[in-house]
Amino acid sequence: MSQRMFKAVLLLLVIAAIATAVAATASATSRGAGAGPIKIGISLSASGDFSDPGKAAKRGYLLWQSVVNSHGGLLGRQVQLKIVDDASSPNQVVTNYQNLITRDHVDLVFGPFSTLLTAPAARIANRYGYAFVEPSGGGPAVFQEKLPNVFFAQPAPVINCGDPFTKFLLSLPKSQRPKTAAYPSLDDPFSSPIADRMRSQFQAAGVKTVYKTIYPPETTDLTPIVEKVASNHPDMVVAGTQSEDAYAQVKAMVQLKFSPKFLFLSNGASSPTEFPDKVGKKNTTGIFSCGDWFPNSNAPGNNQFIAAYLKKYGGNAYGIDSGSAEAYAVGQIIQAVAKKTGSIDNKTIIKTLHSGTWPTVEGNLSWDRYGSPKGSDLLVEWIGGRLVPVYPPSVALHKPVVPKPGWGR
Amino acid sequence: MHLFVQACILGLLTGGVYALMASGLTLAFGIMRVINVAQGALIVLGAFLSYTLFTRFQIDPFVGVFVIAPAMFVLGVCLQLAFLRVLREGEREELSLLVTWAIALGIEGVLSYVYDTTYRSTNTGYANRSWDVGGFLFPEVRVFAFALSIGIIALLYVVLARTRFGRSVRATVQNPVSARLLGVDAARVSAIGFGLSAATAAAAGAVFGIVFSFNPGSHYDLISRLLTIIVLGGLGSLGGAVLAALFMGTAEAVFQVEISPTWSPLTFFVLLIAILLVRPQGLFGVAARGSA
Repeated sequence: MSQRMFKAVLLLLVIAAIATAVAATASATSRGAGAGPIKIGISLSASGDFSDPGKAAKRGYLLWQSVVNSHGGLLGRQVQLKIVDDASSPNQVVTNYQNLITRDHVDLVFGPFSTLLTAPAARIANRYGYAFVEPSGGGPAVFQEKLPNVFFAQPAPVINCGDPFTKFLLSLPKSQRPKTAAYPSLDDPFSSPIADRMRSQFQAAGVKTVYKTIYPPETTDLTPIVEKVASNHPDMVVAGTQSEDAYAQVKAMVQLKFSPKFLFLSNGASSPTEFPDKVGKKNTTGIFSCGDWFPNSNAPGNNQFIAAYLKKYGGNAYGIDSGSAEAYAVGQIIQAVAKKTGSIDNKTIIKTLHSGTWPTVEGNLSWDRYGSPKGSDLLVEWIGGRLVPVYPPSVALHKPVVPKPGWGR
Repeated sequence: MHLFVQACILGLLTGGVYALMASGLTLAFGIMRVINVAQGALIVLGAFLSYTLFTRFQIDPFVGVFVIAPAMFVLGVCLQLAFLRVLREGEREELSLLVTWAIALGIEGVLSYVYDTTYRSTNTGYANRSWDVGGFLFPEVRVFAFALSIGIIALLYVVLARTRFGRSVRATVQNPVSARLLGVDAARVSAIGFGLSAATAAAAGAVFGIVFSFNPGSHYDLISRLLTIIVLGGLGSLGGAVLAALFMGTAEAVFQVEISPTWSPLTFFVLLIAILLVRPQGLFGVAARGSA
């Protein structure tokens, strides 16, 4: 390449970079000033691994839209959601947010489901100066990005979601605690860090690790892995799971007649309808999971949320997936900022959310500088076919049932 | 040792289910030189139909097979007549990939619309029960699924080896032009062959739905496994597909327990490459004339 040619290419690159920066600034600051409906772009998984939780999040978002619109909208403007499918793909989610911001010129963006998709999506939102309030990307991978525009709409970062279980077990008399544990986990940025953290806490407390493994997401048949777990005879199984793999692990345990004294599944078991449907209601008793929301909570707006949910979708309060509450909370946060500042400008939202406490159905939320929430989760357990908060005692509706009864009881 | 034997048992039983799934795929390739990447979607369709019969009408999936297999046989014939018969002979292998991929996406779209994308599972009363034989556990549902798979594959073998239709199929597989010259109606054989392939997908779907959770997108993972199986077994070879499926099921289970679940899929592909280096035509495939 000649020197002249090199200079020309360099000049073009500089112009392109400046143009991108100007476009990004313009796109982030010019939104929110119009008079028509407020357009909010969201990418959710309608297919693939996250389609189950994606559906729950979609219900929550749509519910918030109808509630806010029935009350006159946001700053007097109706809210219009544009929800697109990312097929649970980290590549597609990037394309989706890129399109929503640069092609559809949405005013705001809300987050997708799961850490795996939230981390790349948050980078895109940050590049264009958009606030990124998100319902379920709470794994370390999201906060390690150190993005100032991220706000995770749950009480605690998901890596801490097993903490209430650890605290509860270590609060038991030593003779009742598990002595050995196995940790089979999905290779996923949400699931495996939870199990890793719990393992180090239990190991420090003297609980011996007899087996640990990570299985790839494409593993369909988990029976051999569960067989390996069972062959080590652990008192406790702590599994970093998502959804389908949680169902598969429990089914395999039942088939292999292996019932550990303590069983904790990070996700999947927290779905009030899908989990009992897949593994059989009688096989749920005594299984622990972590929860960020429950129907009896007295969190701000929870009664209104439940009433509106049941009116729109039917069923009963115990059938509401916490994923719907998480998505609804995202809308509540934006609504609160709009009410406080009279603006839905992205810069204002980011600046405003970095201070104060924000009331939502997930509780009163506040964040550190990179969007990691400062509260703590709950320990939930399947008792009598229902998912019930059991720890900490201040919010428990039932005493934890330990050890876990055998399958089918 | 106990762990190893138990893993082999589980792997063989799972491999039996995959054998049934792969048999239809290898049959379609053998008869028509069609690489039917819609086979995974047809299996998922079978799983959903079986699920519906079970949840709506309480028809056991193993009984429901006798309803959905004929229905999907008709669907298979219709698909062949509508989309595959029109493909020109010289381009059939390449174009069939695109056409059947479109069929797969179409089936996925319809299923997503009708059933939503939620994971389903056909939870029969015996879905989680096991037999204990000498300290080794045999999950009932997998034993039934294995037995059904072997039964259907045996039936398929008898049809191909002992009937007039089977002779027509084998003649078409060996030399389509000569078969036509001898009076074999190749178009009819192809249509019935594709119908049979879809019928095996129906049966495979019924058992797949009891053993695993599934949703409309489950066919992507399925088809990649099935294609690997028929390549390993030798394209067009029913026996090869069965053996390769059993090998894959066992290898996967044993590697999961003895080495690591992370390495399990890779190990299988390493073995596949190693076998193909020695036998490029697969375990039971026939080498093309003139090839080295």
